[in-house]
Amino acid sequence: MDLEYDELLKEFSQEQIKELDGIIEKHRGQPGGLIPVLERAQELLGFLPVPVQKRVGRELGIPVSHVYGVVTFYSFFTMHPRGKHTAKVCLGTACYVRGGKKIAANMEKLLGIKEGETTSDRMFTYETVRCLGACGLGPVVVVDNDIHGRVKPDKLKDILQQYS
Amino acid sequence: MKVFRSHILICGGTGCQATGSPKVKQALAAELDRQGLADEIKIVETGCNGFCAMGPIMVVYPDGIIYMMVQPEDVPELVEEHLLKGRPVERLFYKEPSTEESIPLMHEIPFFAHQELRVLRNKGLIDPEVIDEYIARDGYAGMAKALTKMTSEEIIKEMLDSGIRGRGGAGFPTGLKWKFAAQSVNDVKYVLCNADEGDPGAFMDRSVLEADPHAVLEGMIIAAKAIGAHKGYIYCRAEYPLALRRLDVAITQAREYGLLGENILDTGFDFDLEVYQGAGAFVCGEETALMTSIEGNRGMPRPRPPFPAVAGLWQKPSVLNNVETMASIGQIIAKGSEWFASVGNETSKGTKVFALTGDVNNVGLVEVPMGTSLGTIVYDIGGGIPNGKKFKAAQLGGPSGGMIPIQHLNAPIDYESVAKLGAIMGSGGLIVMNEDMCPVDMARFFMDFCQDESCGKCTPCREGTKRMLEILTNICEGRGKEGDIETLIEMADIIKDSALCGLGQTAPNPVLSTIRYFRDEYEAHIRDKHCSAGVCAALFKSPCQNACPIGMDVPQYMALVRAKRFDDAYKIMMRTNPFPAICGRVCDHQCQSKCRRGTLDEALAIKFVKRFITDNADRPAVNSVPVDRNEKIAIVGAGPSGLTAAKDLALRGYQVTVFEELPEPGGMTRYGIPSYRLPRDILAGEIDDIRALGVEIKCNTRVGREISFEDVDKKYDYIYLAPGAHKSQRMRVDGEDIAGVFGGVEFLRDFNINKDAWLNGEKTLGAKVAVIGGGNCAIDAARCAVRLGADVTILYRRTRQDMPAAGEEIIAAEHEGITIEYFVAPKKIVEANGKVSGITCERMKAGDFDNSGRRRPVVIEGSNFTLDVDAVIASIGQAPDLSFVPEGSDVSVNKWEYFDIAEGSKSRTTSDKFFAGGDAVTGPWTVVGAIAAGHQAAEDIDSAIRSRNSEPPWEAPAKEIIDIPFEIDEETEEQPQAAMPELDAVERKTNFREVELGYEIEKAIKEASRCLRCDAEV
Amino acid sequence: MAKLKIEDLKKIKERVQGETALRAGTRRVKVTVHMGTCGIAAGAREVMDSLMNEIEESGVTDVVVATSGCMSLCSREPEVTIEILDQDPIVYEFMDQNKMRQVFKRHVLEGEIQTPFVLARAKRQN
Repeated sequence: MDLEYDELLKEFSQEQIKELDGIIEKHRGQPGGLIPVLERAQELLGFLPVPVQKRVGRELGIPVSHVYGVVTFYSFFTMHPRGKHTAKVCLGTACYVRGGKKIAANMEKLLGIKEGETTSDRMFTYETVRCLGACGLGPVVVVDNDIHGRVKPDKLKDILQQYS
Repeated sequence: MKVFRSHILICGGTGCQATGSPKVKQALAAELDRQGLADEIKIVETGCNGFCAMGPIMVVYPDGIIYMMVQPEDVPELVEEHLLKGRPVERLFYKEPSTEESIPLMHEIPFFAHQELRVLRNKGLIDPEVIDEYIARDGYAGMAKALTKMTSEEIIKEMLDSGIRGRGGAGFPTGLKWKFAAQSVNDVKYVLCNADEGDPGAFMDRSVLEADPHAVLEGMIIAAKAIGAHKGYIYCRAEYPLALRRLDVAITQAREYGLLGENILDTGFDFDLEVYQGAGAFVCGEETALMTSIEGNRGMPRPRPPFPAVAGLWQKPSVLNNVETMASIGQIIAKGSEWFASVGNETSKGTKVFALTGDVNNVGLVEVPMGTSLGTIVYDIGGGIPNGKKFKAAQLGGPSGGMIPIQHLNAPIDYESVAKLGAIMGSGGLIVMNEDMCPVDMARFFMDFCQDESCGKCTPCREGTKRMLEILTNICEGRGKEGDIETLIEMADIIKDSALCGLGQTAPNPVLSTIRYFRDEYEAHIRDKHCSAGVCAALFKSPCQNACPIGMDVPQYMALVRAKRFDDAYKIMMRTNPFPAICGRVCDHQCQSKCRRGTLDEALAIKFVKRFITDNADRPAVNSVPVDRNEKIAIVGAGPSGLTAAKDLALRGYQVTVFEELPEPGGMTRYGIPSYRLPRDILAGEIDDIRALGVEIKCNTRVGREISFEDVDKKYDYIYLAPGAHKSQRMRVDGEDIAGVFGGVEFLRDFNINKDAWLNGEKTLGAKVAVIGGGNCAIDAARCAVRLGADVTILYRRTRQDMPAAGEEIIAAEHEGITIEYFVAPKKIVEANGKVSGITCERMKAGDFDNSGRRRPVVIEGSNFTLDVDAVIASIGQAPDLSFVPEGSDVSVNKWEYFDIAEGSKSRTTSDKFFAGGDAVTGPWTVVGAIAAGHQAAEDIDSAIRSRNSEPPWEAPAKEIIDIPFEIDEETEEQPQAAMPELDAVERKTNFREVELGYEIEKAIKEASRCLRCDAEV
Repeated sequence: MAKLKIEDLKKIKERVQGETALRAGTRRVKVTVHMGTCGIAAGAREVMDSLMNEIEESGVTDVVVATSGCMSLCSREPEVTIEILDQDPIVYEFMDQNKMRQVFKRHVLEGEIQTPFVLARAKRQN
């Protein structure tokens, strides 16, 4: 138990762990409560490494293998730390036909990382997404919660520069 | 009650928020305060208005004036002018793309006018976070009726009578679903709403949740009463934060009002619901997977039966409907099933909401009666395809659906018709795709999506989608092989039959649908490694070169022009094109339509730079090539196709003789295209180069007249038939043979042969001339007639957008004072004194769509009118004159008077020694198309000879090495195409001087420097 | 908040409909207050205020208020135009708060043109 707690402390503060416990407490015994717990936990911690999964599993009385299965199944969950900002390029059909592919290629070039990776300075995590439902504005790039519409490949740099 | 004299509705949907509506709202509130109008004018933030591409959208009531793309800077002017002084601000009105007309009133904009709002009736009209506004629009009336006046059976009967089918995909009758769940005996049942809208390109549900969340709650409560459930879930994807928030607000308000919870409206009925946030898995849109997910597991589907109506969530009877279905229910109960079924068609009732996206002018949310034609949605509501591109297909149903191609624009969009065409209704994502869409790439895209989203539970889906994706990727990257298409079809059938859930079962649909409609493009990818749409980047160096029928290496000669090495640029062009000076003037430049620079500002003026090179560099010297082959070759027709083949064959050492009926070589470039577009010395220069190789051109020699077909057959080993299409099609109207009626090509030919007689007045058209038709030939004839002093009117039976003529030619004609009347067709030629005195015409209107995707012109009865004219030039199309081919010849001619090409060959006729190409095979096409056919024929003839002689294939001599510099700008500045200097219209319309004057050096270099060098691997 | 009963739904509907009626496009009367620079200087804002008060007090939902620019008869501002459905518009001149109240009560609500204040009868534009 202490070993696990120490592991958690490597990445997170005591307050964060306490809050995590609060989240688990709130959903304890609720059928189907695992996914909401994981969603809240990720909101809190930013990512869900194995120690977090272990704690959630033990507290909810669910095998860690099951927790791990759920975490890896849904694209919303991540087990790796993320950048300060998340830059997403939409590759939904509408964006794709309007040049999303080129935007994605440019993003890789600009950040020097591949999709799903985080820059070494932990500034940006770059992802591609399937349709954000903002098809009217395609191609779309989303940085954090800001949607940038009708993006042209060579304007990408300007967009990223707005975030630091 | 607080009265406001005006309400301003600002769209607060996701789309408009992204384009800045919150800032506009803020600025507006501040400005109203500043002007002291806050008490008179109310600001309401609504859900998605639907016209997302034009956001932020703002509607001012009571006037109903809609403003588009409003920015905070616009607000002071809006308040001062419109709200204070009552003068609407025109610059923010909607502009109709086709006519540029400003339309201030929302209901007059075609995008809105053609819609029938039922599910979306409250969109942009109420504040979704104020429950009272929903109630004021008869909200919760259906629920009140269901709870107080109806039994479960009555509700289900009403649903069955309405004919409503699930709006989420498969179209299962909703009433039936409810009936099964109602029949299941259990204390605990669930009502579930599927708001896990994951189809790329679909956002109807998001929009409904954002604009009218209570409608969904109301539907769920009614469903609960119908099946006897007391608990519900809305499964909404986490990617929709605004929808989730609006749902939360709505649920809270509904609970406060007692519309959710215990003893709803004091009726004794209990129902409550929770929002369950999905965590991003497409498969969770499948009903059993969704339930598994709510239970806290990996969202994998379960085999059915048991069906959810029997054992659904937590193994209890459950009903699952999607957002749009749920949002329809309140009104069905309140207004009755008959009302619902009053629109739609036989099997598909009511309306359907579509998310119209892709290459269409008006992107947004569209609600139309079931059975509305695809063309109406794309053109009338969607405003057509932007940037003058052509519609290619609409993808319906996302990764589970299929494409509806151009020839089916009249198809009614309902469950059955769509399925017949190989697509599915799906949830209503309708993605419009233009000519730049590659069907193989699109199929690969959707397969990649399904493969990625496959949950992995069943083998057919997990493995099958992977293998299909591999094959598709191979085809896209040039590794396709014969048999791939058949393998794809076979695998598709197996996966459809054996996958566990809807995701797998429908995953092959896009592949099957694209193979069904675009098999030729699959084959071109596999056999010729060619992607005609210019998408599959592995198959070509640059999109311009890929689009060129003869593969001219555009980036190379652009780079050389930039480096001022014009002579080298000329040499590069001559490698693929024997007639760059001609093409620099008259090419239809398909390359420019694919130029990537066009996505930034404007396509490169490739044609103009090409001409510049030929004007400013020395023509590469030509030496005669010694004849070292035994076979003798005859070519019939000295047009660009025949001469190209002659050059290629001469270069390979063959003795070539060209037979030409007319006095000069050049074909259509000499006798069709007027000299003001193509000066004759330019033309003659390039043809002389071909003679210089040793090619003999025998003019005034028609095969079948001066020399017999049999003689040619006897004296030559191989013959290339390229006689062109020099015969005008007849109009089939009365009076066509009266003196003064000319065919378009016949007139142009006669003019070019007897130019002096026409110019000195021996021959004349008269003072007033009508030209019938809308192609390049019609415009050429009209512009020639103007130069002969006539007053010219062009009559065309369709719209300007439908004219096949080049856009710049149409504009030039107008500048020269030619009137073009659209939607007019000839009916009868009027005669006086044995010659033409007028033409009676009928006006037309747009009918349904033809196979080319254009609206068929339909006669307006009683619209006859007569124009007084002295001559009529009918230029409605050309056909070849193949009467020189004797009957019984091995060379077969089809019923449209074109040569038949042997199966498996690109140029061989049905006779082994005769090859054919150019307009006589394809119908009237372009110069560059004819050149391509000439290259092909030369290659095929040479191959045939060598294979007969058991010789190895020809090897091209080593090319001179020309170093191509690579210099590009670090930053690309927006800068439009350099304009072509030309003679003023007044100055040019009295003579045949060349209209376009050519670039100066600086201009050409600047233009060439705009090239983005797509050919370079960076 | 109290839980609703069936009849409450109707009450809410009636109450809120009054507020949102002008989005529905049903109107019997359109009152235009001319708000050019001269009109505002001459007191058009005050006229507008009293008009809004009258509408609120009377509870009518079929009267819409519009503004427009100067009628180029600056010397007779503030001006107000009353347009009752299917009738020719009437333009009033030299309006003030009292006159506005009177015009609203008598003309807008009861249909009786207040001749002493009238500047002109305009032509209907269809």
